[in-house]
Amino acid sequence: MGAARRVPIEAGFFTIPEARGEPPRLLGSRCRSCGEHFFPRRAICARCLSDDTEDTRLGPRGTLYTYTYVHVPMFGARRAESGGYGVGQVDLPEGPRVQAVLSGGPGDFRIGMPMELDLETLRENRDGEEVVIFRFRPLDAAST
Amino acid sequence: MKFEDVAVLGVGMVRFGAHKDRSAAQLAREAGLRALADAGLSFRDVGEAFVGYIAPIQMLGIKVMKEFGLTGLPVTHVENASATGLIAFREAAHAVASGRCDVAMALGLDKMTELARGGRGGRGIGRDTIDSVILPAAYFALWAMRRMHERGTRPEHFAKIAAKNWNHGARNPLADRQSDHEVTAEEVLASYPVAEPLTAMMACPVDDGAACVIVGRRELARQLQPGRAVVRPVASALQTETYTPGHTFLGPVVGPASMTRDTAREAYEAAGVDPADVSLALVHDAFANEELEYYELLDFCPEGDAEKLVEDGATRIGGRIPFNTDGGLIARGHPGGPTGLAQVHEIVLQLRHEAGPRQVENARIGLAHLVGGGSVCTVNLFERD
Ligand SMILES: [Zn+2]
Repeated sequence: MGAARRVPIEAGFFTIPEARGEPPRLLGSRCRSCGEHFFPRRAICARCLSDDTEDTRLGPRGTLYTYTYVHVPMFGARRAESGGYGVGQVDLPEGPRVQAVLSGGPGDFRIGMPMELDLETLRENRDGEEVVIFRFRPLDAAST
Repeated sequence: MKFEDVAVLGVGMVRFGAHKDRSAAQLAREAGLRALADAGLSFRDVGEAFVGYIAPIQMLGIKVMKEFGLTGLPVTHVENASATGLIAFREAAHAVASGRCDVAMALGLDKMTELARGGRGGRGIGRDTIDSVILPAAYFALWAMRRMHERGTRPEHFAKIAAKNWNHGARNPLADRQSDHEVTAEEVLASYPVAEPLTAMMACPVDDGAACVIVGRRELARQLQPGRAVVRPVASALQTETYTPGHTFLGPVVGPASMTRDTAREAYEAAGVDPADVSLALVHDAFANEELEYYELLDFCPEGDAEKLVEDGATRIGGRIPFNTDGGLIARGHPGGPTGLAQVHEIVLQLRHEAGPRQVENARIGLAHLVGGGSVCTVNLFERD
């Protein structure tokens, strides 16, 4: 099980390090004209409209700008089957604010706390690979 | 574009709610016929139609228009998520203002109960996309949590706004939610949690519905309904997001809050209207904390004073600037496409002074605001002649 290959839920958004336990990086862009960073990648700078952008890796750490804990699973449904999940926005030092699911329970978050990227396995696909997505978790809870 | 020669000729809608045994086309026909009757017109007089819905069904609008008869009129589909109805209205008003036709129809229809059950899985709804779990409730809850952090806002403030809108809805026979008792903030807080700090009673319901607005050349309004006050659109602003640092590209339902401020300022300037002169406002209160933010973003109070408006009851009917007099999305309901046209329906009744038990005294100017996922914001101003 530990040797299964890991694949992203969608390609082009984050790296999957060889070593488990090592945080992923986000795949973003940097504008060579004005210096603004973006996540996810984009060809044209949203700020100055230059098309002179380059790929860059962002993270893996940031600061929690805001969060919530969600008790409903999907649009239109009433309650989560399994206790809900955290969602937050994390400010990366390079500039981008990234919205993502948070790892942890309802009492684990506070605005301004340091966060670190993490990978979570959603399921196994038909080829026996683990399908993973990026999350943020409180830095204090890292490397446990 | 200037709307000097455009007036709202008629409005009509069905009560929003779960309409299990009626199709979207049937609901739309009823709303459309009510609007035509209100205008004193027949379908043959309609020169152009704009049909708004968010259900992912191709050609639905043109098929629905056949319910009224086959007259060969131009029909255009309009879709801008939750803002769809107001954009259908905006296009109809522009069709008249540009001289393309004398009378235009904006028709909104949707059955969100079927959409919620069917799970057609657009981006953000299906399971296998990177942002699939970020729900509208989560996104607006992120606003609420940040507001509480920055301003000391309490969940009670959001609950008071929700209770106000529930109680406004009880005065509106076309509202989905018509509570049999005075709803309290305590009751709202005690309802089940959706996304911290939002509870179920702070959120809009899942609705079916239809609503219609007929617009036409200004002189037609007096000819068709002599003796009735004429209500005119005076500005319609529509914006998408403008880039600001901290812009969140992946996952959010709507863009930065500043989008509402920019769009409102464009509308006020185009109409030459001062926010202090606005009599009532209908806004996108899919979640109660949004309404609190819009008190400031629509320039009804300085930044940081929105909580005081709630505490003073300033946004109730009878207060300084009543918000969501028909119950808003929370109580009148939010079926999608028809929502913006229901806002116009309410503003027109209020400015004609025909709103009965929820009438705002001496109402002269009304504001309709919606945001739509993607995202867009629209602010529309109406005046009583
Ligand atoms: Zn740039």
